[in-house]
Amino acid sequence: MADPIARSPIRPLEPSTILEGWEVSGARSQAPLTICDVTPLAKVTVRSDQDLFDVAYGRARRDEHGTLVVGSAPQEWLLVGSPGSAEVLTERVGDHGFTVVVDITHGRAMLRLTGAEAATMLAKVCAVDLGDHMAPNGAAFRAPVVAVVTDVIRDDQDSTPSYLLHCERSSGQYLFDALTDAGAEFGLGVDGFTARH
Amino acid sequence: MSSGSRRLTPQAVEVIDRANSVGFTFDGRSYSGHPGDSIVSALLASGVTVFSRSYKYHRPRGVLTAGFHDPGCMMQVGDEPNVRGSHRLVEDGMVVSSQNRWPSLRFDVAAANHAVGRFLTAGFYYKTFIKPQPLWPAYEKILSRFAPGGRMSADSVHGRYDHRFAHPDVVVAGGGPAGMLAALAAAEAGATVMLVEEEHALGGHLRYEPSQHKDLATIVGRVAGHPNIEVLTDSVVTGRYDDNWVAICQRNHPGVFERLIKARAKVLVVAAGLVERPYVFAGNDKPGVMLSTAVRRLINLWAVKPGERAVVLTANTTGDAAVEDLERAGVAIAAVVDGRRGHTVVRARGPKTGVKSVELADGSTVEADLVVTAVGWTAPTSLLNMAGDRPRYDPAAARFFACDLPANVLATGGITGDGTLDQLAEHAQAVGREAARRSLTTRRQWQAARPWAASPQPETDDVSPQAIPDLPRHPHPEMFRSTSHGIVDFSEDVSSKDLVAAVAEGFNSIELAKRYTTATMGPTQGKLETVNAVAVVAEAIDRTIEDVGTTVWRPPYAPITLGALGGRSHEPTRYSPMQSWHQANGAKPLVAGQWIRPDHYGDPEAEVRNVRENVGIIDVTPLGKLDLRGPDVSRLLEQVYVNRWAKLGVGGVRYGVMCAEDGVVLDDGVTGRLADDRYLMTTTSSGAGTVWEWVENWLQTEHPDWRVVVTPMTTSYASMNVAGPKVRTLLERIVEDIDLSPDAFGYMNVRQGRIAGVDCFMWRIGFTGELSYEIHVPAGYGLDVWEAILEAGADLGIGAFGVEAQRIMRLEKGHFIVGQDTDGLMQGFSAGIDWLIKLDKDDFAGKPELTWQSQRTGDVRVVALQPVDGTVVPLEASQIVDGSGAIMGRVTSSRMSPTLGRSICLGVVAENLATAGSVVTIRLPDGDLVKARVMEHHAHFDPEGTRLRG
Repeated sequence: MADPIARSPIRPLEPSTILEGWEVSGARSQAPLTICDVTPLAKVTVRSDQDLFDVAYGRARRDEHGTLVVGSAPQEWLLVGSPGSAEVLTERVGDHGFTVVVDITHGRAMLRLTGAEAATMLAKVCAVDLGDHMAPNGAAFRAPVVAVVTDVIRDDQDSTPSYLLHCERSSGQYLFDALTDAGAEFGLGVDGFTARH
Repeated sequence: MSSGSRRLTPQAVEVIDRANSVGFTFDGRSYSGHPGDSIVSALLASGVTVFSRSYKYHRPRGVLTAGFHDPGCMMQVGDEPNVRGSHRLVEDGMVVSSQNRWPSLRFDVAAANHAVGRFLTAGFYYKTFIKPQPLWPAYEKILSRFAPGGRMSADSVHGRYDHRFAHPDVVVAGGGPAGMLAALAAAEAGATVMLVEEEHALGGHLRYEPSQHKDLATIVGRVAGHPNIEVLTDSVVTGRYDDNWVAICQRNHPGVFERLIKARAKVLVVAAGLVERPYVFAGNDKPGVMLSTAVRRLINLWAVKPGERAVVLTANTTGDAAVEDLERAGVAIAAVVDGRRGHTVVRARGPKTGVKSVELADGSTVEADLVVTAVGWTAPTSLLNMAGDRPRYDPAAARFFACDLPANVLATGGITGDGTLDQLAEHAQAVGREAARRSLTTRRQWQAARPWAASPQPETDDVSPQAIPDLPRHPHPEMFRSTSHGIVDFSEDVSSKDLVAAVAEGFNSIELAKRYTTATMGPTQGKLETVNAVAVVAEAIDRTIEDVGTTVWRPPYAPITLGALGGRSHEPTRYSPMQSWHQANGAKPLVAGQWIRPDHYGDPEAEVRNVRENVGIIDVTPLGKLDLRGPDVSRLLEQVYVNRWAKLGVGGVRYGVMCAEDGVVLDDGVTGRLADDRYLMTTTSSGAGTVWEWVENWLQTEHPDWRVVVTPMTTSYASMNVAGPKVRTLLERIVEDIDLSPDAFGYMNVRQGRIAGVDCFMWRIGFTGELSYEIHVPAGYGLDVWEAILEAGADLGIGAFGVEAQRIMRLEKGHFIVGQDTDGLMQGFSAGIDWLIKLDKDDFAGKPELTWQSQRTGDVRVVALQPVDGTVVPLEASQIVDGSGAIMGRVTSSRMSPTLGRSICLGVVAENLATAGSVVTIRLPDGDLVKARVMEHHAHFDPEGTRLRG
């Protein structure tokens, strides 16, 4: 039996390829504003009565392993790591007090929007103030984006504004379609998933 | 209506590009203009002076304001109706036509209305067509043919409309000199500013003031170069709502026909300038009667000669400047009538399409084809009204002024006073700095309130409130109406005589007279007509304008299209991981809330037969799934379900029903115990969100001491139910690590293992009534596993089945669906789950109400019904009636059973009819009555459950 293939809820732009067991788009975009389906990233939610991470609610930062730690709610964190790393992330959490760790990799669609005009584009579909004063790099909040409950994390890439947007999986294609529609006027390009994400 | 060219030689501040030309048509005739021309300026330059017919009397109308609010210049452009012809720039290939006329602008049949005008006074429709009431539909049909405005087709190709959210510190409404200087001052103080101007360029009245051109260019350059200022031209602030939610309609954004910007401004600065007020006199709506600002625009911006021989009524410096412009343009000045000296005009005479002479107050008559009036200003205080202000009238200045603004709204420019340009600049800059101060204070408060925001900058000592100087008010004569009557509202064809008549009929307040006559309710939204209407009413009731006050200006400031309000269509849609397979295999989609599910694949009854005889597979991903972890999960389950949970062992699955506090059935589903402290709860597809909130509510508010973590996992798993007598044979081929034998894996159990190489857990449950396994795999692998199962079962006759087949089979089995067979009033015992409800439990949600229900009689019951004539399938919601026709219940579910070859139903009936063997009467939608028998069990098929326990 062939190894099973994991698929994102978002149809990959051709050509598609397999990376870390996930079917991903092999397309590459040079557009100044890009959107990339990063659903294959491992996503683990941690809830604990202990202060396990030095990341406050509403903020996000990378730890020493390169894992993005997001303070997604009071006493709740989301860990975002490379594809297939959910078990490692879970083990790293360890056993402290009343702590529950759940792998939600397959339950969420995740997109990355990157470019100088990312906030301007996102402002077409998200009512939250995305200005640097109100949502600087490292900001993390939940808001409706095109009427879908979405977790928004500002995670700049090489000083270029970049946002991770993730919602429950079944709305992923809808969210992607709505964002590409909103991004048309900015020349939004679709970028395939690579290890650098 | 058309004469020779009126294009002037180049003017110092003209905005047209003479090096290029554009061609367009108007009512089928070809014309040309230059880039930068408005439609009207291009037509007027070609000698066209009549652009539309009026709303009610169909009188010819020409240019009045030559600006954004020009009531006689609304046009049809292609498929787009009601285009502002004096504002919209002409484009090559435009197809323009006039409105409110038939068959042509020159000859309009409805102009006969004018002949009977004295009968068409205000309230004509109310009075004439109110009786006899039954005839109103006929009246409406005829009257609708005369509805004003343009036309659009359902087949029109619509442009792109969208929305944008914005959070500027300051929104400045109005891009005249005061607005620009306020914006600059605010930006220089550190605020982000959105500067909104309705015209195509910044500058306001300075644009057509050649002597100020250099200063204007300097200010515009500074604005354009400031990184904190976003300039929106051809855009209108259409409304100010609570908490400074400001709506802006933007028109000139590339690729977007219209965009509605929803701006949450920390401070709104209103710098809307002043709107020149028309004068009311006989003939004031004839083409050739214009405002002084109109002739100044036409001459200076578009190099168009507005007439040949003019009478100018002036009461201010703008009128005086218009005289100078006209003379420079070669227009003969037949008379200058100085309103400041009490002189005025009485009547414009001539044919309907223009002016030939003007009668002055001294009794003389002057030949002229152009009448220019400069009699005062209206302060467009709409946005201030929307912020709660009630402007007060100052008779010395002959206009209204704002008086009581909230802290997050400021005003500057002509709307607040007069003065020299230097005085206005000083005021605007102070307002801008104060706007910045207030907005930055608000910004700091907002930053402090949001955990994800940047740390606010500490407040510094140099941000004390800015002193805003008072602006002087220049005296101006009160000139509203001459000794004759004329048009007050050019959009609605309301005359001063109509208003006087309305007052005489008892509508003696401005708000009543407004509604009765519709004055101020047209596209110009009161900008030109409010003050004149107030003055006419004041005169009619012998009160002052201050006493009468003004009408309340509400949004929108200017009409806005439905397209802009609607924006892009965003209807969230949810798909399962197997959606691509469903589409490729001919599934008919079923919209189930936000989910798109396969209703069937062509023949739902065949799908049922295949499940009963072979094996079938259905995608049940939308089933709600909650991961419950912690030592107190069983206490939670005892609380939210009506049945017992404490003894559910690891590997066990139990069906449960939840009731709300009022005992009404809330949801149902199965919950399995995967480990000592880990459970998976399933809910109905539509109840997933409700149940999540319900359990969180219990945990967060009633029992914060319980250690339970709930994680919604509905879409983490791809879920599929494989059912039928051959299912075990099939699964044994591709399942690893699970012993599928009946003894090892019995009914109502859960096991974890692998299927098609993927980790899974699997329940043995039976919604369809067949031996079945519900399989849950990580969603990303859903399609792989689905296809693997189909491939493995090909020789066993496996086929996919949809929601419709599942509904038939669950009805055959007698399973109710919460929300379909129950309703928002049905308590637990009525649903027929007496066996499940454990009133001897210590506590559970709904217990008091259910206890009470158990002690009383007279409720309804869910029962299985079989029509005596098995070929009849009563429509769902058919009534169940008694001999007198009284309603005793209803059919909640009904289908033709392919398995039994007869119709079957579930229904709700009064308790006295619920006894097995009773015969009830069902009234079909066509009125026919059919008999149906109440069955002993809910299950029509295999009531003992032999098949699903196999």
